[in-house]
Amino acid sequence: MGESVQSGRHWLLVLTGLCLVLGALLGLQVKARVARGDTQMARRTNALVAMVSEARTQIENQRKEIADLRIQLSKYEEEAAAGHGLVKLSEELQNSRAALGLLPMRGPGIELTLDDSAMKADDNGGSSDLFVIHDFDLIGIINELWAAGAEAISLNGQRLVTGSAITCSGRLIQVNKVTIPPPFTFQVIGNQDNLMSALNIRDGALDRLRRLEFVVKLTPKDEVTVPAIAIAPKFRYARPVLEESVP
Amino acid sequence: MIALPIIALLVGFFAVYWLPALPSVWAGYIAICILAGADALIGGLRARLEKRFDEAVFVTGFFANMLIAALLCYVGDKLDVDLYLAVTVALGIRIFTNLGRIRALLVTAQRRRRSSGAAGPE
Repeated sequence: MGESVQSGRHWLLVLTGLCLVLGALLGLQVKARVARGDTQMARRTNALVAMVSEARTQIENQRKEIADLRIQLSKYEEEAAAGHGLVKLSEELQNSRAALGLLPMRGPGIELTLDDSAMKADDNGGSSDLFVIHDFDLIGIINELWAAGAEAISLNGQRLVTGSAITCSGRLIQVNKVTIPPPFTFQVIGNQDNLMSALNIRDGALDRLRRLEFVVKLTPKDEVTVPAIAIAPKFRYARPVLEESVP
Repeated sequence: MIALPIIALLVGFFAVYWLPALPSVWAGYIAICILAGADALIGGLRARLEKRFDEAVFVTGFFANMLIAALLCYVGDKLDVDLYLAVTVALGIRIFTNLGRIRALLVTAQRRRRSSGAAGPE
């Protein structure tokens, strides 16, 4: 009987120790769950995140490959043209390509970086919409840049061409159908003085952002490189008109 | 006396609850560990009621169960097989049977005590 009581007490102590461990684990788990939702969800989310990032790197690699191949093709064409007295034609081809944004460009210009304001909505009770950069802010700046004679512009590595649209879906901004996160960096090739003064004009695009304490960094650069667009535009409806007189 | 393990459970819970959270990658493994630990505790309770309790088996079983369950899940994750489902089902079934067994043992024990009480003092 005495031994049974002894072992009973001992068993209780062991149980207490293990319960402590189990309680600690439960605490960890409940805390993690409170912090970020269901564990099943976490498993699935992790798998999806991995898939998306893998697909993204693949796309990025293929983009680079396309760009490299395009440059190579241009070089071959130049060489072939030189051999056949077609230099003029080849030059025109390169110019057209450059105008379409199919070739990376280099030249003097500016770099402009924008980021959301350090001010918060609750600082003055207003809407937080006031302190983040919107698609229309970027569109306004791009318009200003083209008007000031910009020859090539890229936004977060996306070349802006005639078909480039800046859209906003929820809180995300897309350029060339690629989502770009802040900060937003423009690389612009063109006359530096014209570009700088166009952007810094009083009550212009940057003036309003500076007043609301947005991060605005505008620097002239001796050499700016603007990448080519990833996908060449295709004409599915439009056809060139080759007749003599167009009304 | 019975309150001691329950107090320990609460103390463990709240001691950890105030610490910073682990990364979410761990959440799945900890969930499995909890299940394995609970299974070991309930198994121990049953063994004790059946009077074949062995302390060394109990303690090693508690930790080994957790380790093996987590390991199985890890292997499953690496092989892209949902092995954690297998572990969850296996442990769930065991917890259920053990709890059912404990209930049956408690009921019979209660009945025996009452019938012996009715028979009068020894």
